[in-house]
Amino acid sequence: MMTSPEILTFMDLAIQQAKLAMDALEVPVGCVIVEDGKVIASGRNRTTETRNATRHAEMEAIDVLLGQWQKNGLSMTEVSENFSNCSLYVTCEPCIMCASALSILGIKEVFYGCSNDKFGGCGSILSLHLSNTTPLNNSEVPPGKSFKCTGGIMASEAVLLFRTFYEQGNPNAPKPHRPLARQA
Amino acid sequence: MMNNCLIVHIPDKQPHDLHHQPTESVFASIIDPKHANQIVRRLNQIAPLEDLRHVKRIQKKVLEGGQIQLLVILCLVSEGNNQFDSMPSHLQELISSYQLSPFITKVCKYAATSKEEWHEQCKFWPTSYHPRTYNIDGITGFSEEDSQSVLKFMQSALELATSDGLVVNAAVIVDPSAKQIISSACDQIFVWNTCNDDSCSRKPELFCSHTIISGKCDSHETLHSNNSSNQLKQPYTSVSCLYPQQWAEHQSHSRSLYYFHPLRHAAMVAIESSAARDRCLFPGKENSEAKYLELDGENSSWTSSHAKRQKIACANGEYVEKLNAHSHTSDQPPARPYLCTGYDIYLVWEPCAMCAMALVHQRIRRIFYAFPNPNAGALGSVHRLQGEKSLNHHYAVFRVLLPEEALHRCYI
Ligand SMILES: [Zn+2]
Ligand SMILES: [Zn+2]
Repeated sequence: MMTSPEILTFMDLAIQQAKLAMDALEVPVGCVIVEDGKVIASGRNRTTETRNATRHAEMEAIDVLLGQWQKNGLSMTEVSENFSNCSLYVTCEPCIMCASALSILGIKEVFYGCSNDKFGGCGSILSLHLSNTTPLNNSEVPPGKSFKCTGGIMASEAVLLFRTFYEQGNPNAPKPHRPLARQA
Repeated sequence: MMNNCLIVHIPDKQPHDLHHQPTESVFASIIDPKHANQIVRRLNQIAPLEDLRHVKRIQKKVLEGGQIQLLVILCLVSEGNNQFDSMPSHLQELISSYQLSPFITKVCKYAATSKEEWHEQCKFWPTSYHPRTYNIDGITGFSEEDSQSVLKFMQSALELATSDGLVVNAAVIVDPSAKQIISSACDQIFVWNTCNDDSCSRKPELFCSHTIISGKCDSHETLHSNNSSNQLKQPYTSVSCLYPQQWAEHQSHSRSLYYFHPLRHAAMVAIESSAARDRCLFPGKENSEAKYLELDGENSSWTSSHAKRQKIACANGEYVEKLNAHSHTSDQPPARPYLCTGYDIYLVWEPCAMCAMALVHQRIRRIFYAFPNPNAGALGSVHRLQGEKSLNHHYAVFRVLLPEEALHRCYI
């Protein structure tokens, strides 16, 4: 299947974000959020800087959006509607935490680069993007919405970034100990 | 009075039904004890039981009259083919040279995780049982003092969860070595905006100057326990980990009076403030991680027990036997913690997948929760992250069954 040039363009922007993370000595993962063919937010991993290991690229971009939308006076219903029109492009498969978050927000679609064999929440370890289809214990409100998920987009570029980070790394970084593709 | 607090370990795997443990069919045969050594040696070469290491190769039966009978496992019965001639040729040679008569029997497929399971397993065929060798404190039980302390911290989580009339989830991160609260938080899905300046709205992570909406709407839910069983009757729809999607159903109030953030579950907020505390207490350069005390789950328990035995040099050159020597006790310069390594978290409700994974990332050592989350719980109810082998960190999970009066005190 040919990947559309549009998808490649957005993934390339996500890779640029990942490179920014690398420059800041962070595990290189980056993402952009797209609505109606326009990038409306971007994010990169900030776990080292914040000492908060949950500050993944996706969480950063989501916070940018929530901040902006509320500054513009959007109501919760409108915010929820907006998320359902957004696509996320991220260099590595969202981890279980981020996949869960994306499902809570009700994002429309996710495109990712390399898969995440250790923590992946979109098929590798858990499949949280399918959350709506799993039977629920007769709850009225499902814990999350399902979203469409496509992996393997510019995966080699994403992997190359990880490899560069861990192999040549930087003199200050801890010796990894972190597995390849730890973050996302 | 508090000794009816019960702390239950939630294991990595769903325990098997004791009397219906999965089994596997094997070919076995009675052998002459004279040949036992030779046969077993040969079998280990030609037909090792790779996936059944917990199963003993030989079974010894004492027959009536005290006579000893030995039985040996030859090999697994390959699926869909229980004919003897389906066995590898080496085995067939062995069978004919010792004149064995193979028969099919069952052995338990998985190693026993408890003594009870092991006893049941041995009714089929003997297995070996190794109680887990690594121990995150508490898996093998709590001392009276420790369970008092667990109860006390759970109590503060409970009080937080109910402090605003509206029942939400609450999280308390604790350094157990110093019995000190590191950070605590409630769900912050809806937060009043008491901040006028513009910079606040650009930084949704800075909710510190905001207060949590109290008494939202008219739903005054209270924590009612169903007598002694710790079962909750109410739906508690404001507990974010129970109903993570609830925010989208929320009726909009007038705009701009408050912020909302659908992902600010109690555990996420507590992690954030522990990170803020870390940055504030140890303002060193972010990347000089050489000082980090990075210890993962299993290593850290080794280190702490090792440290207990270690004699530690004091400034005056004297050696003092240190009890419970952790890196951050008061008589040592505090080492900068690596994330939440060594810390515990107390949650009123079992966390959802987002929160449970966040706690893996932040390297929490133990999780205590009071009530299960059948809707979205990720520590045994819907998922079981503590048993996902691929994750790079594993915490131990406990449910705290609270004594009646603890619930009533907060009940509000
Ligand atoms: Zn993530
Ligand atoms: Zn949660």
